[in-house]
Formats: sequence, structure tokens, C-alpha cells
Amino acid sequence: MPRRSSLPVTFVVPTLIILLILSMVPTVYAVVIALQNRELSSTAYSYVWFSNFVDLFFDRRFLNAVWVSVKWEVVTVVATMAVAIGLGVLMFEVASPRLRNIYCLLFIIPVLLPRVSAAFVWKFAYHPLYGIATYPYRLLTGGLIFDPLSKPATALFAVASVDVWQWGLFFAVIVLKLLETLPPQPIEAARLDHARRWQIHAYVTLPMLKAPLISLMFVKMIESLRSFDLIYVMTRGGPGVATETLDMYAFSQGFIESGKVSYASAMAVLMMIATVITFTMLWKRVQA
Amino acid sequence: MSAITCSHVEKSYGATTVIRDLNLAIEEHEFVVFLGPSGCGKSTLLRMLAGLEDISGGEVSIGGKVVNDLDPGDRGIAMVFQNYALYPHMTIFDNIAFGLKRQKVPKTEIQKRVEAVSKTLGLDPYLGRRPAELSGGQQQRVAIARAMIKTPKVFLFDEPLSNLDAKLRNHMRIEIARLHQSLKTTTVYVTHDQLEAMTLADRIVLLRDGRIEQIGSPAEIYERPANLFVAGFIGTPNMNFIDVTVGRKGNGWTLTSAGTVFTIDGSRFKLQHGERAVLGIRPPDLKTAGSNADSLLEGTADLIEFHGNDALVIFGSGGKEISALVPTRECPAINSHVRYAIDEQSLHLFDAKSGVSLLRQSL
Ligand SMILES: Nc1ncnc2c1ncn2[C@@H]1O[C@H](COP(=O)(O)OP(=O)(O)OP(=O)(O)O)[C@@H](O)[C@H]1O
Ligand SMILES: [Mg+2]
Repeated sequence: MPRRSSLPVTFVVPTLIILLILSMVPTVYAVVIALQNRELSSTAYSYVWFSNFVDLFFDRRFLNAVWVSVKWEVVTVVATMAVAIGLGVLMFEVASPRLRNIYCLLFIIPVLLPRVSAAFVWKFAYHPLYGIATYPYRLLTGGLIFDPLSKPATALFAVASVDVWQWGLFFAVIVLKLLETLPPQPIEAARLDHARRWQIHAYVTLPMLKAPLISLMFVKMIESLRSFDLIYVMTRGGPGVATETLDMYAFSQGFIESGKVSYASAMAVLMMIATVITFTMLWKRVQA
Repeated sequence: MSAITCSHVEKSYGATTVIRDLNLAIEEHEFVVFLGPSGCGKSTLLRMLAGLEDISGGEVSIGGKVVNDLDPGDRGIAMVFQNYALYPHMTIFDNIAFGLKRQKVPKTEIQKRVEAVSKTLGLDPYLGRRPAELSGGQQQRVAIARAMIKTPKVFLFDEPLSNLDAKLRNHMRIEIARLHQSLKTTTVYVTHDQLEAMTLADRIVLLRDGRIEQIGSPAEIYERPANLFVAGFIGTPNMNFIDVTVGRKGNGWTLTSAGTVFTIDGSRFKLQHGERAVLGIRPPDLKTAGSNADSLLEGTADLIEFHGNDALVIFGSGGKEISALVPTRECPAINSHVRYAIDEQSLHLFDAKSGVSLLRQSL
């Protein structure tokens, strides 16, 4: 048996150790804090074990936050994928190669914008009096006020639209590029097989791209978990608690409203567990 | 019903013209092979028939109906691609049934027809597999099954066998021939393999640079090539060409090349005294000669290729390399002096300038 060089181990191990420390220490610390009753207002604390978790299940604002988070996740992921696939296929079908390049360039710009900038831009765009996004409504109704960000029914969708604007357009470019990599013959065979344009995509091209599309969806699912900045700038969880996701609520419990650090930590820990379990299960299902 | 007519068909990509003013009539039930060197436009022409490529000029009609603006699906054709073009994510059953499903054929009928077709092609054990789990030959059969099941008016094949190894190619060639015998569907078949063309075709269409050089049965094309290009393209080993000057001598003619004078009767050809011509002779038509024969080609054998039953003797004569295919038992030793006689009946003569055959048309 040839002697293995110890070089790879030498290089990889220190990095791994540092990474492990960097990721594990805060995680473990968060779990520890979640089992205590720390508050920002005092230095005294003791272990209360699971009482924070029990309290959470009777906290209606927490349950609302869970529901908002789930809604946010589903709405943004589904809408992003729908926009990406719809626009990608549309560009593939109708745009000339030159035009495609121009669209691709345009569609990448939103995602290059920092989140906070994008959020501010759209916050102004949704302004009921001056916003460009509400302008058509004012025009059609002769000046009626429409304020999507301050209506509980529409606020979440208004914020989600910004997320989709950033990621859906970007993913449309990726979908187009994926379609362009496909061999043309199966598409031609499908045309000979009496398939209409949309059927070719529904039955041939998109199934052929199943694996990369699922990976894209996973990326978006993870990305959607990090919507704090966007929601914070646009609505701060409002109106009321209509857009208060779990991270928004944890943040306000921990640092804004009551300084209940342990309570917030408990939420974070629950979120982490739920996320890990969900993603592991989904990943397993997809692999199967 | 399913005859194909191309009249004045043209194809250009921007400034480059790929097919030029092409006229062709393919009869019902006919098996036509497009043959030609790489890049001559065979695939392009076939794809124009299929509707996968726009027609830049002229008219294509299938079964008496102009199809220029019809979608591929509405032309009543089925095509088999060189790289099979199966749907990789579907099972073999779904691959074969896809076209029928799009046409909303009832489920039970689809089941029946897929079973029938897969039985014909020996595919029943594989119906549940995916294309990646089949060998090349099996995949090609699936591609043929997918074409067959639509019971098309016309079959189009684009080099369907070129990805297979020699043995499988022979086998599939025979299957395709058998299929055509039983179905009698009009078929257009593209290949650059002469053997495939010769064995399968009712008629061969020989193309070069987007133009038809000759149309004819395999025998016609082999025995009466219309010009130098066809003569050189068809037949392995390649035809020998010798530049000659035609001269009149008594009732016959002489063909004078560097070093040799051939005396021929010449009645098969349209000849003129003093004309420059190219004499063509196929290697198998050169016969080992006795010592007193005339119209001889002789030289020193400098290379001998063993082909099994035959051997190819390559020798220099008058500064040209000539090859002769002789039975192995007549094979000379290398570097020995060889003499081969030419039989006038198997001679070909072409005009040196235009390359057109000098054979009399009536013959
Ligand atoms: N999209 C295109 N744009 C420009 N030229 C093209 C295009 N497609 C094909 N051609 C040209 O058309 C000519 C004919 O191509 P075609 O594919 O029909 O050749 P072929 O006879 O099938 O050759 P082969 O035996 O190698 O398959 C080639 O010279 C090729 O360069
Ligand atoms: Mg080709």
C-alpha cells in the first residue's frame, strides 16, 4: 500500500478546527442561554431549563410569527421559481440571442443591489402618494390612496414582491442558461412528436433540468430564511404583526421591546432545529 | 399519397448558401439515400423535409401537399436522429408512447401499439428502463420504434447507424431493410457510408456542395457514374484515374498517357480526335495479364494490402499510383513487376475539363 502523504491533513485540519469553533461555539452558547432566564436589564440569571420553550407555545405572537414565516417561505420560493421558469422559458422561446444577452444583463442588476438599498427603493415605490408602483392605481381611480405596505392583507405580498424582483429575475437568467445547455435533438424530436411549445417545456426540457432546478429551489429556500434586512427596512414586522417573521420577533423580544435574551434564544434554537429537520427531510426526499 | 417533391429548393444561412436550386422527386414506397461528403448539405436537406429547418426558397411537398409552412408535427413524417435523441428522463415505454399521448390517442390503444412495435423490434424486456440503461444499438431501436409507432407517411433517417460499431451496424442495416420491406413506407436516409447506401437504396441521390451530382439506382451510379466526382466518390477502393489524350486510329481509338498507349474500339463513348480525357478504371476491373496482351498497365508493386479474399496491389505506372484488386492467390510478391490488362467494357472516360462522362447516353 502506498504511503499516504500527510500534507492534506496538515492543511485541512487547522481550518476545520477554526470553522468548527466559529460555528459551534455560538450555537452551543445560544442553546445554553435558551435554558436560562437572562434579561438585558439585569445581570442576575439562573437556569430555568425548558420553561422558555413551554412559554413559547402559549405565546400567540410567537405562533403568529411561525405562521408568517411559513407563509413568507412558501410565497417567496414559489413565486421566485414561477417567475424564473416563466421568464426563462419565455426568453428561450421568443428572444433572439442578442436580445437575450441584453435581458440577462438587465435581470442581473436587481440582485446586485444590496438588500437594504433594494428595500428602500421599493419602500418609496410603494409610497401611497408619490410611489411609482402605486401610480397606476392613483391614475385609474382618480387619486384614491392605496398603501400596500400598511395593509395587513397586502403587506407580506408587497415585501415578497421585492424579494421576487431580486431573485426571480436573477434565477430567470440561470434557467435560460440551463435551457441553452440542453441538447437540441430531444426538443426537435418532441416537435416531430406533435408536442406544442409549452408541452415541450412541460414534458421534455424542464424534466431534463429537474436536478438543477431543485438545487436552485434549495438555494432560494435557504436565502428566503434570511429576509430580516428586507422586512426590517420595509415594514419592521408591521402593520401590527402582519409581517413579523420569527427572526423579526426574536429580535424585538431580545433587543427592542423587552430585552428577554433567553426567550429570544429559545426561539432561535427552535428555528434552527425546525430548519435542520425540514431541510434534511426534503433533501432525503429529493435524493430518493 | 406519400411522394415527396422538391422544386427549386434553396437554403442559405445569411450569406452562405448551403442548398442550391435543388429538384428532386421521390416516389411513394421508395427508399432514397442521400449520399455525399461531409458538409454537402445532406442533413440540412433532410431537416428541411422534416420542418426543423426553414426553407429559404422553392417548394417542398409531401403527398401532393405543399408543406413549407407546416409544423414538423403536421407533415406526417417521423425522424430518427444520429444520436437517437431519446427523452433521457422517460422510460422506454414513455419514450415510444410520447407522440401518441400528445395526439390524445386512448390509453388502451397506446398500450396495444407500444407492445406491438416493441415486439417487432425486440424491445419488450426494456420498456421499464431509461435510455441511459440501454446499449447504443438498443437505444437506436427505441428511436426507430418511436418513429414507427406514429405510422408516418415518410420515414427520415439521419445517419442512424454511425454511432454503432461495425457489427451492430450490419445487423441494424438489415433490420432497417427488413422494416422497409414489410412497411413499404417512403424513406429518406442520409449517410456517408457507401455500403449502407448501396445496400439499402432504391435510388441514391449523390450530393456535393448543396447540388445533386447524380440520381440513380446503386448499380447505375456504380457502373455509369455521370462525372469524375461521382466516379471518385463511389466504390472502395477508389477508382484509378489516368490522364490521356484521345486519338483516332483506323476504326478504333487510342488513348495515350505518359508511357502507355491503350487501343480501344470506343463505340461506347463520344470521342473526338485530340481531345484530353480522363480514363477511369476500378481496381477490381484490372486483370492479371499474360505476356502478350495489349492495353496494359504495368509497374513495380510497391505496396500490397491484404483484404482477405482479395489483395490490393499498388504500383506506380507513368508517374501515377495505380491500385488493382486481385484474388489473393494471384497476388504478386512485393517489388516484383506486375502487368494488368484493361477490359474495355469496364472503362470509364470523362472529359478532362468538365469532368462529365463521355459515355453515350443511349447505352
Ligand atoms: N446554422 C448554420 N449556420 C451556418 N452554416 C451552417 C449551419 N448549419 C449548417 N451549416 C453549413 O451547412 C453545410 C451543410 O451542413 P449539413 O449538416 O447539412 O452537412 P452534412 O452533409 O449533413 O454533413 P455530415 O455528413 O458531416 O453530417 C455545412 O457546410 C455547414 O457548415
Ligand atoms: Mg449530417
